[in-house]
Amino acid sequence: MKTTLRNPYVYLLFVLPTIALYFLFFIYPMLTSVYYGFTNWNGLDTKDFVGFDNFVNAFKDADFRNSIVNNLYILLFSCCVQVPLIVVFSLLISSVKRFQGFYKTTVFMPSILSTSVIGILWGYIYDPDVGLINSILQAFGLEPIYFLADMKWALVSILITNAWQWMGFYIVLILAAILAIPKDIDEAAMIDGATGVQRAWYLTVPLIKPIINVVIMLSIAGALRVVDIVLVMTGGGPAGATDVMASYMVNKAIKYGDYGYGTALSIIIFAFALVLTALYQILIVRRQEKVEY
Amino acid sequence: MEKKLVSVLAVSVAMTAFLAACGNGNDNEGSSASPSASESPSASPSASAPASESASPEKVENFTVSLRHIQIGDAQKFRKAILDDVVKQTEADVPGLKIELDGIEDNVNRFTKLPAEMAAGNPPKIFDVFGGAGDTQKYAKAGRMLDLTPILDELGLKDKFLNGVLDPFSVDGKVYGLPIGGNTEGIFYNTDLFAKYNLNPPTTWDDLIKAADTLKQKGVTPFAVGSKGAWVPNMLVNTFIGRIAGENTNAGFITGASKWNSPDVVAAYQLFADWEKKGYFTKGELGKEYGDMLNDFVAGKAGMMFDGSWRSSAFKNDAVGAAIAGKVAFVSLPAIPNGKGDQTSVNANYGEGYGFSADLNDNELKAVKAFIKNMYSDEMQLRGLLEDGVLPSMQLSDESIAKVTDPIVKQVLDVLKNAGTTFPHFDSVVQSKVYTETETQLQKLIANKATPQQVGDAIQKVQDAENAAAAK
Repeated sequence: MKTTLRNPYVYLLFVLPTIALYFLFFIYPMLTSVYYGFTNWNGLDTKDFVGFDNFVNAFKDADFRNSIVNNLYILLFSCCVQVPLIVVFSLLISSVKRFQGFYKTTVFMPSILSTSVIGILWGYIYDPDVGLINSILQAFGLEPIYFLADMKWALVSILITNAWQWMGFYIVLILAAILAIPKDIDEAAMIDGATGVQRAWYLTVPLIKPIINVVIMLSIAGALRVVDIVLVMTGGGPAGATDVMASYMVNKAIKYGDYGYGTALSIIIFAFALVLTALYQILIVRRQEKVEY
Repeated sequence: MEKKLVSVLAVSVAMTAFLAACGNGNDNEGSSASPSASESPSASPSASAPASESASPEKVENFTVSLRHIQIGDAQKFRKAILDDVVKQTEADVPGLKIELDGIEDNVNRFTKLPAEMAAGNPPKIFDVFGGAGDTQKYAKAGRMLDLTPILDELGLKDKFLNGVLDPFSVDGKVYGLPIGGNTEGIFYNTDLFAKYNLNPPTTWDDLIKAADTLKQKGVTPFAVGSKGAWVPNMLVNTFIGRIAGENTNAGFITGASKWNSPDVVAAYQLFADWEKKGYFTKGELGKEYGDMLNDFVAGKAGMMFDGSWRSSAFKNDAVGAAIAGKVAFVSLPAIPNGKGDQTSVNANYGEGYGFSADLNDNELKAVKAFIKNMYSDEMQLRGLLEDGVLPSMQLSDESIAKVTDPIVKQVLDVLKNAGTTFPHFDSVVQSKVYTETETQLQKLIANKATPQQVGDAIQKVQDAENAAAAK
């Protein structure tokens, strides 16, 4: 037994099944996807190699460009609106004396619901005839707003729903970081006469910067990946107003049966996500020093 | 802590075993577990259980055949009842057979699920399918669908189908699918509302426009529509094209004989855009489903709707539209002034039916034959007509047709009888990429993001590419 465990090949033997599965379900599909991206495969007939045609077409495709822009809107919204809100809410909850557990659970609740449930739920909230928001508007004698059918409102409506779903998750992350800060730092500042706002802005926020960075990075990745909520709530409609890269890809590949083109789109999405997160890592995160209490 | 871990492990092991057992039960035999409980929540409970028990005497090999249908929801209950009876009869005919029903919403099946299954090569054994270049013909060319020609010969069915209805389901003279029935698309209108506002039935263009304008003024939506799925407004566009550009236009797109950006077709889109601008359609239509359209119409929020004749069964006394039963009438779109086509022509589709997987063993083939025999019979065709208002795809005697009592179905039959000629819906003609483009572009037109000319140009671009690819 002792000698067997010294033999490196034994270890290899143990990891081999996992590596085989990894190859089968991750590496192999990824390589074939890259290959399909260069073909005009429609799922049924023979596939011909078409070179970079799919990629060129993708960037010529006005609808796809529109979906990239929508993705960028979502990205901006989550980084510039959602993250500050998350930090504010976390700060508020962290200084609550009573029922902190209750608040934590409440804000976290939406992120354990499935996206389909949330999509349908909010679909009712936005409904022009019987929806909650429009009932309130009508009670004040206002015209109903066609949230999910109006080009101007559809994306905003989805952004709000998406934010509602995911903010709680990030709040809990940041809350954990805030609560981990030693109390004496805060108390020292209090004795020096710093107000609550000052303490939050000059003490707490700098101390939780690393976790805020993580949240921003997860938000970027999430914004580029978002698709389920779009498919459930609008399916990319009305007239492409809420199409994001991934929903456009799903429609092209599955609905059109244009698997070659769809795969090419998925490679582009992958490249986008990779470049953006890498940029963020290199430009922002690396420059920051480690926080020490 | 340790105890907890042990119990968690135990539970998970138990779960795994339980799930594995379930999986086996479904795969191998239908007789062991509960045969009927799992599927078709909307079906009548008596549908399949007794049949499958009596149909398995000693020593027959039990096997299951999957059947994908789209008869879900309350509005489809009459068709579901017919299907259930056919399934029951087929199970009784073939010893050991258990048909597993799998009901899926029409559009999801046609545009998402079935294409994916076809790509993967594992479609259900029996499935609901549409005819045309985008559906049956595409799958048949890829070798995914069963050639039914020998079965039709064996059962003597080939000549029983109406003239030409098998064409969209045929490739090189071989038949790959069978249309279950037909329909025409026209205007349903609420006779109560029309009487209330003193309007003439919309049988002439002037009366139609006057009705629409008056309803609009009175705060009633002239036309209910749910454009979240653009196939719904596409029905009206299709008839506009047939009437304005001529009844051969729709069929000519794939041959290049007609073009989407020709002035006539653009004029059809222009007319639609004009109606859109005049506010003839439901507000917020891009967020409304097909079902919402019926609901709005039934609730009296809209005076008319342009829909397929299959909707007639919704206005029976015991159906979803019971609230306005007896207050609904059906007419074809009136003659459009300056239209180039035959202004009595109407759209007629025999586009939807059943197809069968090419990958069948002997037993399954037997089941398929029995299913065809039972489904495509005079009896079921007549039941479809009488109970559900589906126009028969097979020849029925005059006295059978005379049995129709439903007033709307009678009006539908009249519309077809008075039609000089018929034209197909372009969705059963053009390639699926082109069809999807028509939906995308129409939504843009509705959202006022594209002009009729831009719509025509964009669709024609895809049509050209697809025609070139098909010619290769």
